[in-house]
Amino acid sequence: MLEENLHEELRRFPITGRFLAGRLRHDMSQEEREILETSISEIVEIKKPTRILNHGEIYDHSTMLIDGFVIRSIDGPENRYGVSFHVPGDFVDLHCFALKRLDHNIDTIGPAKVGYVPHEHLREIMEQHPHLARLLWFSTLLDAAMHREWIMKLEQLTTARRLAHIFAEIWRRLRMVGLGDEMGFDTPLTQAELADLSGATAIHVNRALRELKDSDVAEFSRGRVDIQDQKRLEAFGHFQADYLYGEGLNYLGEGFSQKKSLLHHKISEG
Amino acid sequence: MEKQSTKLAGNDFPFSGDFLAGRLRKHLSHDDLYYIESLFDGTLTLPARETLVERGKRMDISAILVSGFMFRTIQMGGNRYIVGIHLPGDFVDLHAFALKRLDHSIVAVDDTRVAVVQHKKLKEVMDQRPHVARAMWFATLLDASIHRKWIHMMESLGAPRRIAHIYCELQTRLSLIGRANERVVRTPFTQKDIADMSGVSAIHANRAVSKLRELELAEIRRGSLYTDHWSALRKYAGFDASYLYGDGPLHLNEGWGR
Repeated sequence: MLEENLHEELRRFPITGRFLAGRLRHDMSQEEREILETSISEIVEIKKPTRILNHGEIYDHSTMLIDGFVIRSIDGPENRYGVSFHVPGDFVDLHCFALKRLDHNIDTIGPAKVGYVPHEHLREIMEQHPHLARLLWFSTLLDAAMHREWIMKLEQLTTARRLAHIFAEIWRRLRMVGLGDEMGFDTPLTQAELADLSGATAIHVNRALRELKDSDVAEFSRGRVDIQDQKRLEAFGHFQADYLYGEGLNYLGEGFSQKKSLLHHKISEG
Repeated sequence: MEKQSTKLAGNDFPFSGDFLAGRLRKHLSHDDLYYIESLFDGTLTLPARETLVERGKRMDISAILVSGFMFRTIQMGGNRYIVGIHLPGDFVDLHAFALKRLDHSIVAVDDTRVAVVQHKKLKEVMDQRPHVARAMWFATLLDASIHRKWIHMMESLGAPRRIAHIYCELQTRLSLIGRANERVVRTPFTQKDIADMSGVSAIHANRAVSKLRELELAEIRRGSLYTDHWSALRKYAGFDASYLYGDGPLHLNEGWGR
């Protein structure tokens, strides 16, 4: 059902049809969807891993990820540290609209397709379409929620469990935007990038991946993560999906308005 | 130093005087600042260790911290993890205006006072004062920026350096709101709090604190850090304050422009 809707959504909004899918997209009016779709002024295809935004520089546009994967990174003296990753439909550096300069870099991994939205357009949205602006705000706070979960994850988990948590999160997020499949997902992620994302050395990651494979939690091979049992993976990674704000505890079925709340429940029940 | 903040805040802004101080506050007009102050309905006193916002509960109000310390916490498998620290001027659960339900809880560390604003008023801000709304958005993204730094810190630093980093951050944030002391960062944190925010056991945290003392970088007693060697401590922690968006390379000198 959801996937059929998404298919139709992508036919109508090929650039931004995945934005907030499975979360708050239902609270976006048709007009708002049109406005967002037409706010993208330029689409760029990127062939290989590229740093598309440098920390500390001023930007006048923000980036919608259309295809591919992106990592937010902070450079250390010797290493790169990954502080989050992004899947298609994510407005990866919408933060930049309010912050103007970012504290981190945006790096694509593998080929990617991105759309640029001039901040001028975003300012117009804030002035003329406050409800849409609130949805945009919401989307940046999803990032903050994921950041908090990652802090917790890093405070608590071993490397193998961190990786399981990362796989579980990527998979759930891909499924919300109609990507991935029932057995896992394709990804250009490398072991080096997994090390950047989990705060571990490459050797540690290698060992942890073997542990995941040997205990039938997940199998990472170049270009692919295979998962036999979602429950097992999520239990191993201490993963609880609520912080993604998809269906569950934090889901905003009713959107921002209290009135809609009842209506929406009726629709979903019927 | 502590006096200065009350002077800066003045009686004109008893609720929001520290909001974005040292950061975007100077780019807001006097009119905007009075407008922001007028949004709040009044204050609420919260005794130490009381929860302000519970995870998963639908919220129709948000709160700004007026005095005291607060934590953002996540409960998992019987343990509490501290994922953020808040100081006066922080609009602690402004997030709830867009998220409605929070993925985490917000708790008072010591006796705290917060000022409360209704979401329907924030909606008016978005409708009528997009410029102010953008400043509020900015404020929530400062939290995201601090979160990213904490992720980076957890990925790259051992326990003693994490603890040093946390106190360096507090010192800078206190100075942004004019409440820093030169030689001490006073906090109501317990040993357990320090352990829970640095992702190690209490024993480990104790050892890390001893290490900072042995290296003659800092002394932590009853939650407060004493040092005469800030630059050595910052260097040890690899602390670079730019992610806090005060004066520094990421600072928004020019405002937003168009």
